[in-house]
Amino acid sequence: MEPPHVLSHSALTPLHVGLHRLHKRLSLLVGMLGDWAAFVGAVMILGLASSWYMIDVGTRLTSEKHGPWVGWTSAGRADADPYTRAHFARLGTLQLTTEIALTYLAYTDSDGNRLHSSCEYVVEGRDVDSNWWSLTVFNDRGDLIANAAQRYTYTSETIGLRPDGTYAVALSREASPGNWLPTGGAGRLALMFTTFDVRSPLLAKTHAEPMALPQIRRVQCR
Amino acid sequence: MPIKIPSALKNANWQLILAVPVAAGILHICATLLAPYLTAASAYSRLAPGLPVNRMEMLNVSAPGAEPLPFLSPDARYAMCRFDTSGGPVTVSSTLPPDAGWTLTVMTPQGDNIYATASVPSRPTPVSLVLVPSEDAFLGVTPEARGIAREAQPPTVVSAVHGIVVVRGPDKGFSYQRHVEAVLREARCTARSF
Repeated sequence: MEPPHVLSHSALTPLHVGLHRLHKRLSLLVGMLGDWAAFVGAVMILGLASSWYMIDVGTRLTSEKHGPWVGWTSAGRADADPYTRAHFARLGTLQLTTEIALTYLAYTDSDGNRLHSSCEYVVEGRDVDSNWWSLTVFNDRGDLIANAAQRYTYTSETIGLRPDGTYAVALSREASPGNWLPTGGAGRLALMFTTFDVRSPLLAKTHAEPMALPQIRRVQCR
Repeated sequence: MPIKIPSALKNANWQLILAVPVAAGILHICATLLAPYLTAASAYSRLAPGLPVNRMEMLNVSAPGAEPLPFLSPDARYAMCRFDTSGGPVTVSSTLPPDAGWTLTVMTPQGDNIYATASVPSRPTPVSLVLVPSEDAFLGVTPEARGIAREAQPPTVVSAVHGIVVVRGPDKGFSYQRHVEAVLREARCTARSF
């Protein structure tokens, strides 16, 4: 039987040796580059995503959530944390300090469904004596919604109250009796509630009962 | 070919793996701290080009398509002054009526309210401020320091080089519109002469 044909070391040409070494070095380089690519990817994802989340969404450290309403506890303050500062710089809003006024935004109804102009809603709350507040509807980019009635907001001084001191504001495309904020064809909506009430949840440092924020109830969708 | 976990753990580059949370933390801090400076759409950068320097100007009612800022509610009227104290102090004065909802704030380009006051229902709230670049820089040249002008109630000194003074009057309905506008027009913001 003929022995298998193998190449001895002496039979390897310098070209073979060179190619073999190049292959080994390339494998090493690819392995190292792979490690570094994974490292950079993980750092970018972890670092930027966590920063984005803290700035855009907020956490319990920086914001308070009451039903659908979200308010940033240090908004506009000189001693605001970096997340709050970055949040409002990105949002581009003119923020009053939470030492004198509180602003809440809601993008969903009280059941957690996205506010949309194809649906009708009722916003119900209770007026608090001597405290100025306002309720304004925007599209989700913060633009006012054009409408023939030129209604965009209600304040504690312009809203029609029920005899028991409560109020209801209808959010709908079609005109509605009573307090009505037109939503037109704006698509996704945002509601803003501003109050000068120091007993509101964000500043509830006393034993007084904090003011309840309005409920946003979906009536129907088309 | 199935991955052998013990082998993968043995061959893993643990130095790089342990460096991930550290580097991610550094990137997180840098991104968060730089975010206010990198955005081109902050309230100051949107408002500043349209406002005269060291002069109070009343803004038109916020209307669809003409909103100066996002989420700026037409629940109030605004008078604003973009101040620049690099050439000298700027005085600000206004009297907030005895109604709820009136405010006067001094806002930095980063959006901080370095001075804020709100009206009280029982009495008018006179506000008098002097904006200076730094509290030490003008000690020797302000009229008070030279003993020339001595007002009955010395103004509050606020240290800031750039920013916007915002006087906010709440919307009380059509009947009160003129009253609100009159108060906003009376607000003053002027560069102080030496």
